[in-house]
Amino acid sequence: MTLLILTRLLALAALIFAVAAFTLRWRATMRRPLALDRSPAKGDPKSGVLYAFSLGMMPWAKESTRRHLLAYLRGIGFHVGIFAGLLALLVSPFWSWLPQAVLLAFAALTALGAAFGLAGEVMRWAERNLRRLSTPDDHASVLLVTAFLAATSAALAHPAWMPAMYLSGALLFLYAPLGKIRHCIYFFFSRLFFGLFIGRRAVVHPRSVTSRPSSVAGRG
Amino acid sequence: MTSGVETALQVLEKQLNRPLETALEVCARCGICAEACHYYLAEPAPEHTPAARGEALRAAYRAEHDFLSRIFPRWTGAKKLDEATLAKLAETAFSRCTLCRRCTFNCPMGVDTPLMMRAVRAMATAAGAAPEILVMLADAAIEKGKDPSFFRDLFLEQMTDLEKELQAKVGDPQARLTVQRAGAKVLYVPLAGVHTILPPAIIFHVAREDWTLSIFEAANYGVFLGDTARAKEIARRIVDEAKQLGVREVVLAECGHAYAALRWEAPNWFGETFPFRVVSLVEKIDEYLEQGRLDLDPSSNRERITYHDSCNMARTGGVIEEPRRVLRAAVRDFVEMTPNRKDAYCCGGGGGLVALPEYQERRLKAGAPKARQIRETGAQMVVAACENCRLQIGELAHRYELGIEVSAVADLVVRALRLPPTRHEAERLFAGVEEPLPARKRPEGTAVG
Repeated sequence: MTLLILTRLLALAALIFAVAAFTLRWRATMRRPLALDRSPAKGDPKSGVLYAFSLGMMPWAKESTRRHLLAYLRGIGFHVGIFAGLLALLVSPFWSWLPQAVLLAFAALTALGAAFGLAGEVMRWAERNLRRLSTPDDHASVLLVTAFLAATSAALAHPAWMPAMYLSGALLFLYAPLGKIRHCIYFFFSRLFFGLFIGRRAVVHPRSVTSRPSSVAGRG
Repeated sequence: MTSGVETALQVLEKQLNRPLETALEVCARCGICAEACHYYLAEPAPEHTPAARGEALRAAYRAEHDFLSRIFPRWTGAKKLDEATLAKLAETAFSRCTLCRRCTFNCPMGVDTPLMMRAVRAMATAAGAAPEILVMLADAAIEKGKDPSFFRDLFLEQMTDLEKELQAKVGDPQARLTVQRAGAKVLYVPLAGVHTILPPAIIFHVAREDWTLSIFEAANYGVFLGDTARAKEIARRIVDEAKQLGVREVVLAECGHAYAALRWEAPNWFGETFPFRVVSLVEKIDEYLEQGRLDLDPSSNRERITYHDSCNMARTGGVIEEPRRVLRAAVRDFVEMTPNRKDAYCCGGGGGLVALPEYQERRLKAGAPKARQIRETGAQMVVAACENCRLQIGELAHRYELGIEVSAVADLVVRALRLPPTRHEAERLFAGVEEPLPARKRPEGTAVG
């Protein structure tokens, strides 16, 4: 059995483990109670959810992301890289069927993702708040994903790196449900609850999505 | 494990629903929430970030619920809850977070840190680690609800005197201030003090509302404790009163947490949709203006006025444009703070903090961003639709020498009211008096501040 096949099988087994573990966690969370909201709605819950997953995620929608635009865009770039990396890994047996331009695009996205991941890790050490907030789990999670993205990018550029991609992918799949990376499934719950909240209560109106002072005002 | 810690953990388990588990799991510790918090802005230290506050509870949650944390607690920052950690958690939740939700709105994930802090408050209350004064205030309100006859006569006596004042203010001997009148359309629930009764009474009279007064107060200290059982008992007084009287609407005094509690949370505590509508006084005034039932003269309020969005009214309650429409009709020079509406800074007095003297210094320090905002508007008066915000802003004005007055929305509306003819005057008018009567002078001496 070649190293490529061995690592590919390892990645497949780890992927099955990750899917199973995430499914169990999803079901466990879904079993937690969620009370029906009996207060009469003032606004539209659907609009709130739509906002939470669309305009509400835009860099200009929040003061925090306007203030930390580069950090936010870094995070977005990192996560785009992750999606590209996972997709590339899943379709890796069929790479030879794909046009070279597509492979190059994936290589670029994952390389950028890896660079953004590395930058994120540097920020975790360099920035006082992040340094204090971070646990070994945070560092391990970022580094694991970064290594996977770098290996995937390299594999897309040269097949010799494919075992490295499968191996790092296997490690990532094994660790993801156990550590901080599992926040990925809770993202959807969190934005959904936030959207329902602001929608039902009409906190975000279609006409007043951003706050615009009507006349003279200072800077807060 | 001590019994206090055991109780706290049991309360955490009981509260662990889908939104709370999500809040405990979803944070990526990116730290982007830091500057969204007024505590952090006033004192920029890592422990004042909302993420750090959440982590304090997450550490205990992980120690109980996370596989990896049980094997390698240091790897994930998990820590078993003990007496000292519980005390620290309680202190954080009651004095370093006003539950304003500004961090949630600024988080790319939407992490609900206030939900976690409320869970901690509930844990601390059950374990006997909550501030005593809040527990006493909540329990006193519950006792009052059990036997209202004890104070009812005194209250009725006070209202009889106040009715005379109302008649004098509106120049109409027919003006009535009834208490718990069955069949009225609107039940108005005030706060402690006639300053939250007389201005609304004038407005209701002028708008020809069919209203009556509750003998209870809208404030709900159970909410600050995170204690749903107590909060429900306090709300029950008003809910039962409204049902017994058969009112169609409950109008709440200008009070942020009371509004959030009765409007948005109480139906869930009781597991029913109430047979009456719950609105804030500000929403009601806005309706009257829309229906043409109030005639306001903005030149009565000439000073520059700005509006402070109470977090419970705006970010939590969705009452955002109503006070602005009212103020634009009632004042001449209205200016906004920046940021405002859902992005407004908390004044620092929310979450029951104004009732806790032991945290006064911390509270006033945390109000620095709000004080700066107010100063930059150049306003001479700050209006807030929340009693706790008004108390805090009044103290901020003193501490930071802002040179401002603080007012409720209703007070300014009363100052701007053009009174309609009394019944006697109207009869003269309809009897063929040729010249229409001019609008009468606005009521004098209505309190502002």
